[in-house]
Amino acid sequence: MLVPSHGVLAQFRKYRVTQARERTENALKHLLRQATDGHVASFTSLQGVLRMSDRQLMGLTQRLEREGLVRSEGTQFQLTPEGERVALHVLRAHRLWELYLADELGVPIGRVHEQAERAEHGLTKEQLDRLSASMGHPELDPHGDPIPTGDGSIPESPGTPLGAWPPSTPGRIVHLEDEPPLAYAQLSAAGLRLGQVIRVIERTPTRVVLTDGENEFRLAPMVAANVHVAAVTTETAPAAWPDSVIALTRLRSGESAEVVALDPSFRGFARRRLLDLGFTPGARIRSDLATLAGDPRAYRLRGTTIALRREQSDRVLVKRLA
Amino acid sequence: MSVEHNCETCPVHAEMAPLGATVEAFDRVVALAGNPNTGKSTLFNSLTGLRQHTGNWPGKTVTRAEGAFQFAGLRYKLVDLPGTYSLLSTSDDEEVARNFLLFGRPDCTVVVVDASALERNLYLVLQVLEITDRVVVAVNLMDEAKRRGITVDTRSLSRDLGVPAIPIVARTGDNMMALVGEVAAVAAGETVTQPLRSKGTPAFEHAVTTLVPMIEAAAPGIPNARWIAIRLLDGDVPVEEALASGRLAELVARQQAPDARFSRKIALQGAQ
Amino acid sequence: MSAPIATTPSDIVREAAALRRSLDAGFREEVVTSLYGEVERLTRRAVQDSGSGPLELDQRIDRIVTSRLLGLPLMLVILAVIFWLTIVGANVPSQMLASAFFWFEDLAAGWFTQLGVPWWITGFVWHGVYRGLAWVISVMLPPMAIFFPLFTILEDLGYLPRVAFNLDYLFKRAGAHGKQALSMAMGFGCNAAGVIATRVIDSPRERLVAILTNNFVPCNGRFPTLIMLATVFVAASFPPAVASLVAAGSVVAIVLVGVLFTLVVSWVLSRTVLRGEASAFTLELPPYRRPAMARILYTSLIDRTLFVLWRAMVTAAPAGAVIWLLANISPGGVSLATRTATFLDPLGWAMGLDGVILLAYIIAIPANEIVVPTMLMVYMTQGRMLEIESMDALRTLLVDQHGWTLLTAVNLMLFSLLHNPCATTIITIYKETLSVRWTTIGALMPLALGFIVTMLTAAMARAWFGF
Repeated sequence: MLVPSHGVLAQFRKYRVTQARERTENALKHLLRQATDGHVASFTSLQGVLRMSDRQLMGLTQRLEREGLVRSEGTQFQLTPEGERVALHVLRAHRLWELYLADELGVPIGRVHEQAERAEHGLTKEQLDRLSASMGHPELDPHGDPIPTGDGSIPESPGTPLGAWPPSTPGRIVHLEDEPPLAYAQLSAAGLRLGQVIRVIERTPTRVVLTDGENEFRLAPMVAANVHVAAVTTETAPAAWPDSVIALTRLRSGESAEVVALDPSFRGFARRRLLDLGFTPGARIRSDLATLAGDPRAYRLRGTTIALRREQSDRVLVKRLA
Repeated sequence: MSVEHNCETCPVHAEMAPLGATVEAFDRVVALAGNPNTGKSTLFNSLTGLRQHTGNWPGKTVTRAEGAFQFAGLRYKLVDLPGTYSLLSTSDDEEVARNFLLFGRPDCTVVVVDASALERNLYLVLQVLEITDRVVVAVNLMDEAKRRGITVDTRSLSRDLGVPAIPIVARTGDNMMALVGEVAAVAAGETVTQPLRSKGTPAFEHAVTTLVPMIEAAAPGIPNARWIAIRLLDGDVPVEEALASGRLAELVARQQAPDARFSRKIALQGAQ
Repeated sequence: MSAPIATTPSDIVREAAALRRSLDAGFREEVVTSLYGEVERLTRRAVQDSGSGPLELDQRIDRIVTSRLLGLPLMLVILAVIFWLTIVGANVPSQMLASAFFWFEDLAAGWFTQLGVPWWITGFVWHGVYRGLAWVISVMLPPMAIFFPLFTILEDLGYLPRVAFNLDYLFKRAGAHGKQALSMAMGFGCNAAGVIATRVIDSPRERLVAILTNNFVPCNGRFPTLIMLATVFVAASFPPAVASLVAAGSVVAIVLVGVLFTLVVSWVLSRTVLRGEASAFTLELPPYRRPAMARILYTSLIDRTLFVLWRAMVTAAPAGAVIWLLANISPGGVSLATRTATFLDPLGWAMGLDGVILLAYIIAIPANEIVVPTMLMVYMTQGRMLEIESMDALRTLLVDQHGWTLLTAVNLMLFSLLHNPCATTIITIYKETLSVRWTTIGALMPLALGFIVTMLTAAMARAWFGF
């Protein structure tokens, strides 16, 4: 058990490769992103992402063209098929890493992008296949983005940007764009989560106002464009919890509750472990002990006392019992 | 339950004798599984006469300990496993337990449960019943449960589970003969069990039944193909790799040998 | 429907992936939920719970033991009481054993001389091997025979998981796992066992952190050293009425320093080579159980004590022999022991110790138990052949003849806490990590810390207090 992951840790460091390579791959990733969004990448847009001097960037783009990865028309750039293959590979690495960090290593979701950005470079296809297999060949990264498959196809990006979503129609959040990180930080600080059902109640040039039925979220249009929603199907409808559903952490000592669900964004090993311990819907639970810092806390569940850290009890949704 | 043991009249040691750590020649293998803190090691000590260290905290036993006892003329190797909540989630210690239950081919698995926390303990029992018929449930800590005002109807439990459930107090050795008798009968196949197994959704069952024959064809003689199928459906990478590289057979073979990763001395005595 | 005839493993894996897509994403969850549903049904039918007194009692105890105000202080008090009982209880038997053993050494050596056995055989057997053994037994046996049963009682009661619960927040802040407290508790007995006990930690990263820091818990091989130093040096400068309390207090302080180092090093590891976040933590707090006293006494005394003692003796006897040889082979009129010690002296001085102590640590790599006996034997062969009948004589030997100060004692306590693990532990680290690299780090990192810390304390003590 120790050795493979130790191997993963080793990869983590080993493949923090030269800046040049990172820049190449980041440029390709940007071109791919622009292409999928239906935009055309330009010298200026590349410069915005890569933060390089004119001269450096010129050198980079010339090299990419020489290597047959990129075609240029004036100041505009496009990926060649070979360039697209490489870009998809990097994107796959990025998204798989994000998922691995979030699910298996428990890195907070706001930090996975930054860490994956460092780790994504220089992994071989075999390594990615292994990583993908180790998580049961996932299809979406923690932000809801599709992960390109090993054969280089990319599942269609789900959902519609919030800007194009009809007002007052309930929509389920299927994707929170993680770039730029600042916008993503705002979204997660506002409390928007994957799977949440929201409606647009106001849209002006300066702001977009959403509601999930309880809270209102005010977002700048720029930020709102990073939220993608899809139609609510009957299957996903219960994702909006009523007021009475709270995080287990909020239960005061001595209070009893019934487990409603585990937060859908809570995945991987930690989720399986809680399920195995009997944190299943309908289970009776009582908040029992709290330590000095109020973290961890211990709960009575199924005849035993189980201690959990706050990060876990925050993800267990319960309903208070009288 | 066809074997009669009239222990009031027979001299106990004529039938049952601890053999300590002599595990070279044995007729049957018995595994001791259960949640942490259910008294597996205490039971192990009581049956083998060894002094495996016990302690009231989860993770006291992290390795496989082996001992032996003799009963009705047969020699039994007893394997004390680390406590585990489930056969699915695995830290290193739990993996030791899981691998042995799945691939160690024990003739009988004794699942030790805490009478005062049956609701937690039965989850593992049901999982073990999924993978093997030869199970005896030892309902331990009956005295503690009683002190807490909890009574367990082991007959009803036995009926519902379809395998023998024997109330015991491992610490005092209470009812040990009944347990050993039942273990012997199950291991010999004299007691025919009908373990409770719940079926999954039709789609799930279909997926499992598709995979099982494939696995059996790829790795002939592998125990618990059903479990492997479920793990593959779950996307369990160590299992995928073990299957692909043929290491599954090696894993099975390794369960027959003692846990070699640690010094036995440390496990038995130094590990205090 | 035509079933694919596929039997290669990769076909199976591919087929499994295809089938997985046909299942609901949450199928695993449904299986667990339905199993628990079944469990609840079974429990309702088989269990009758008539409301419970003792459980309430358990929970009331837990509320005190883990309470915000009392939880941590209570832990320290319990630890201090255990050490105090050990120190007070071990004092007299240690002295009695020592005088008995050394009385016999004289007697036996006398016989040998009378029988005309060559002096070097007498010296080798009685003043070398036997003396090493005698020291190990009289210094180690009494404290261990008291400490182990007391600690086992706590273990059997179910107190350890509460300690892990109380301390988890600190470990979390350090990027480590709360169950590290459990493997540390095992480390009190034996660091090799502590390293194995880290298997309960799910996350490989946190498990490595726990393995690498386990050595900061003084094991039973090092406790006697700490206790002896605390008793003979630290406590001796206080009035007799409070001396044992001071001794216990200083051992607790050293343990706390160890915990502090564990946390700091975990924190540093989590931010450098083992970068990552603290992961999930689930810990069952089992109900308290009445300890089986007779069994505890038996297993702690017979199994634990004798095992550790046996291990100490096996290494002490050859060590005794080596020291005797080093001390008595004198090319050019100066013994090898003295030469080596003199060579190590400058480093020892910088660390607030001396060359003999470092030499003892080198000889004692196989087992920490024999550090003090080794040291004493080298001292004794260097100076006049002094018999040590009591702890006072020991004090005289070290202070008057070899220039020990409070700084030497304190730094030796620190170095005893912070140095390379014994050979068994190093091998165990390798077996558990299967990595030469982590084994090397696990062996050398504490040693490096030991050098740094003792040099710093020595420098500060010399600069500020004029040692």
